[in-house]
Amino acid sequence: MVTASSLTKRYGALVAVDELTFSLRPGTVTGFLGPNGAGKTTTLRLLLGLAEPTAGEALVFGRRYHELDNPARRVGAVLESSDFHPGRSGRNHLRGLALAAEIPSSRVEEMLDLVELHSAADRRVKTYSLGMRQRLGLAAALLGDPELLVLDEPANGLDPAGVYWLRSFLRRFAEQGRTVLLASHMLAEIAQTVDQVVIISRGRRIASGRIDELTRGGKTLEDTYLELTTAREFS
Amino acid sequence: MLALVLLAVLLHGLALPAENVDSTSEQLTMVVGWGEKLGAVFAGLLGAMSMTSEIRHGTIRPTFLVTPQRNRVLGAKVLVSMFFGGAFGLIATALAVGAGSAALATRAIESQLDAGAYALFLAGGTGAGALWAAIGISIGAVIRNQVPTLIGICAWLLFVEGLLVGDVAGVGDVGRFAPGAAAAAISGQDPDKLLAPAVGLVLLVLYAAAAALAGSLATARRDVV
Repeated sequence: MVTASSLTKRYGALVAVDELTFSLRPGTVTGFLGPNGAGKTTTLRLLLGLAEPTAGEALVFGRRYHELDNPARRVGAVLESSDFHPGRSGRNHLRGLALAAEIPSSRVEEMLDLVELHSAADRRVKTYSLGMRQRLGLAAALLGDPELLVLDEPANGLDPAGVYWLRSFLRRFAEQGRTVLLASHMLAEIAQTVDQVVIISRGRRIASGRIDELTRGGKTLEDTYLELTTAREFS
Repeated sequence: MLALVLLAVLLHGLALPAENVDSTSEQLTMVVGWGEKLGAVFAGLLGAMSMTSEIRHGTIRPTFLVTPQRNRVLGAKVLVSMFFGGAFGLIATALAVGAGSAALATRAIESQLDAGAYALFLAGGTGAGALWAAIGISIGAVIRNQVPTLIGICAWLLFVEGLLVGDVAGVGDVGRFAPGAAAAAISGQDPDKLLAPAVGLVLLVLYAAAAALAGSLATARRDVV
């Protein structure tokens, strides 16, 4: 489904992603964790073909992203909460993407319903709250009815009802045999949503496994995470 | 754009001394020529905006996620912008012709331009707009930052080229080979100084092709941040 093997990205002397290897199985939600600057977003960009790896490879469905036919129908992604032209409406943004991905515009209306943005669909995006932008981004990612969803901090700015909705949505999504990769700092939320986690620090994988294994012995995900990442910081 | 064309053409048409605007070349270059120059500037800005505003607002990410073949995206942008850039050029030159003739007529200066000169001027303005829109996209793809790109295009076309063609720097008559001067040459302006229209067209096409190559390489190789 998704495989990173010895994935490496250097920017000059800075090693953003360092020999990172992991894979995701269909039907799972994977939390992708790590301190600020650990290389999470860079890894997602490498997976999605927005950046070229310096070494190693990142494959989705066994191929590099740009080799997929109509990738929007297989992979949905939200990398930033603000990837919209502020002067265009939410509906207009989705229609533009649907047109480019050859997706019928009826799907735009379905997605607006799904993320409950119908009443605001004709307003300019610059009037949207952060939570509404997140939901618009999710609607855009889901336009092509993808099998894989890649999300970077999707719960940021969502209200409690929105967070609850997102969690149940992602669970249902995975139960249909589809796959989610979820980069986030919200550990309590992650612990309730994901099946497994991959924790990276300074571009390297420092831990990975099923959530129940990492929280064995009464430890919370936060305890495990802090133990791993701070031990690493000061070593 | 339309207001600027109107202003520039009327100012020059009404204010220049009569002996400076009574020949074919002078009327074409000093009066109605402003339509072509401003049309090309705005077409260049249009092309540059098409690329740089996607980068500025981050929509380049969803755009490349949907269409990871980046050269297809660039090619589509070039085609669409050339169409609208051509329309900019045509509208700007048509307005300039109307305003310029009216300005000269009110001063009882006879228009020296015949139908052929007008036709060449409108066609040249359209071509200059279309090609400058393509150049604008490529410059935007290379520079990426919106404000420097837009300022650079304006400064080059409205200021630097004027210095080059006027040979203020003392580098000889190389100014006529510059891309803005080539664009002006297509519409038959200033035949004594500039290239012949067909040569100007070929040269500007070469500029656009070279810019497209640079834009394509820059877009394909660089990471999207």
